[in-house]
Amino acid sequence: MSSPILQIQELQKYYDNGVHALKNVSFDVREGEFLVVIGLSGSGKSTLLRCINRLVEPTSGAIRFRGEDLTTLSTGELRQRRRKIGMIFQHFNLVKRKSVLANVLSGRLGATGTWPSLMGRFSEEDRSRALERLQLVGLAEKADNRADELSGGQQQRVAIARTLMQDPEILLADEPVASLDPATSHSVMKYLREANQKWGKTIICNLHFLSLVREYGSRVIALKDGELVFQGSPDEIDEAWFRRIYGDDAVEVRIE
Amino acid sequence: MTDLYQRKLAAARRQAWVEGYFINVLLLYYFLVGVLYLGLRFAGIEMGEWPQTKTVVLAFIPVSLVLTALWTRSPDSPGRAFIERTNDFLKPLRDDGNRSWWGTGSGIFLLLTLAVTVVMGWVMTEVNMYSLFSAQGMAGAQRIFAALFSPEFDIIGITLQAMVVTIFIALMATVIAVPVAFVTSFFTARNLMKGSAFQVGVYNVLRLIANFTRSIEPLIWAIIFSVWVGIGPFAGMLALMIHSVAALVKLYSEQIENVDTGPIEAIEATGANWVQVIWYAVVPQIVLPYLSFTIYRWDINIRMATIIGLVGGGGIGTLLIQYQGLAKWNEVGTMVLTIAVVVWIMDYLSARIREAIY
Repeated sequence: MSSPILQIQELQKYYDNGVHALKNVSFDVREGEFLVVIGLSGSGKSTLLRCINRLVEPTSGAIRFRGEDLTTLSTGELRQRRRKIGMIFQHFNLVKRKSVLANVLSGRLGATGTWPSLMGRFSEEDRSRALERLQLVGLAEKADNRADELSGGQQQRVAIARTLMQDPEILLADEPVASLDPATSHSVMKYLREANQKWGKTIICNLHFLSLVREYGSRVIALKDGELVFQGSPDEIDEAWFRRIYGDDAVEVRIE
Repeated sequence: MTDLYQRKLAAARRQAWVEGYFINVLLLYYFLVGVLYLGLRFAGIEMGEWPQTKTVVLAFIPVSLVLTALWTRSPDSPGRAFIERTNDFLKPLRDDGNRSWWGTGSGIFLLLTLAVTVVMGWVMTEVNMYSLFSAQGMAGAQRIFAALFSPEFDIIGITLQAMVVTIFIALMATVIAVPVAFVTSFFTARNLMKGSAFQVGVYNVLRLIANFTRSIEPLIWAIIFSVWVGIGPFAGMLALMIHSVAALVKLYSEQIENVDTGPIEAIEATGANWVQVIWYAVVPQIVLPYLSFTIYRWDINIRMATIIGLVGGGGIGTLLIQYQGLAKWNEVGTMVLTIAVVVWIMDYLSARIREAIY
């Protein structure tokens, strides 16, 4: 654990409809950690992740990536920084009609000129790297299949390969297993752990199930109604904290 | 809780009154004017020629407004009955007993209105069973069907030539309309044009133009262009083209509005620029529906191209109207048959191609 790779400082987000989604959220992310964000639906987890790469524009506050504030960048500069911040989504968000390989290659769009990318002209090197990334998630033999022919868990692994194609330093994962069954959830989480431990990617991951948090997370932050209410290790979330974060009526559901 | 319920109930009652009154006024006014029209017609007077029409029709307005104020007091009046039966708060409170709907006051009034409407329509469209089935009428039918079903194949040469022109009118109209509509559709898709006030302005202006253009039938456009560029295939092609652009813009942009935003986010997150996002995340989702709509449009255009020829749009329609003017029914039969065969083939092909795409 070394210096912070990402510093979130007094981040605020008001949506146009008046919802105050993030209230003065500040925390650091250290290089190489597997940070898990927990909280109820609507607590601001997705907004927080989307503010980091500015898919959602923060209202105020700073997001320092290796010291540089991302919120003040021009769109051109922002696109360059986005290449270093990969993202995977609850619903995988693959382009369904395209091949698995084409989906993985799209991870290189930020580094490819507009014209070659319109023509689909990716370099030999890119293609072989895309196949390597598919091998890493165990799907090399599916390269020519259409993305929507794959199961949910496989699609999420393709999405992981797509972000790895960016050679990201940080990987944002927004509820990566929320639409998968328990067994598949673990296979996807294992690849995220591999990305974290073997390939040294810093991971920020929204999760619902505390059992997954304890198994995979190295540190946890919790949001409640847009406020940061907890920072610590997964083991520190006892019954009392659980009730503070999820409300008095909540009962923990385990995923084995 | 009960307080909230009482307030909601009171609001619903007020609404039933206001909207019920409005519906009742319209119904009563329509009924009065309809009865007047029928009364005059049966007295042998055309409504437009009767000097008092304007006065009476205007006088009906205050009459309806006043009478309805009384009428609406009855929960049995059609307006209140309708609102109260469809409102969640008032529905349970209504007690219509065991009467069936046509036994209620509103049911009787609606049946009367329906009867007046049908009789009015019958009189207005001059429905006449006698001319349909009289000896003279039947003789006319026999003559034209006999001629149509014994086509004159001497003119098959020029017929086919005109038919080919018609097909190409439709083709050119489609080919020119597609790229124009394709580019325009991105600017008329709400989800892509919500960024700035300028974008919203462009969106609204283009939508307005497209809606207006589309609401004018190709037949009217053909009349306009036959004056503008002269009678002939060019006028027909322009008429179909302009209408196709408007129709395709609507269909295309609805496709864009329905795209899944997930892939757009994902491609944006890779650091791709706007053009790359459109090309990688939007276009793959819309290309097949676009193709399907385009083929469907060509199919429609071929049908339309035969019709707009009648008003000077060139092709087989123009040929047909010439022979019709000369009462050469056998030749007209040849053309009608040719049109039917070609339209049927195009219809079949377009359906099969669109099936294969999905």
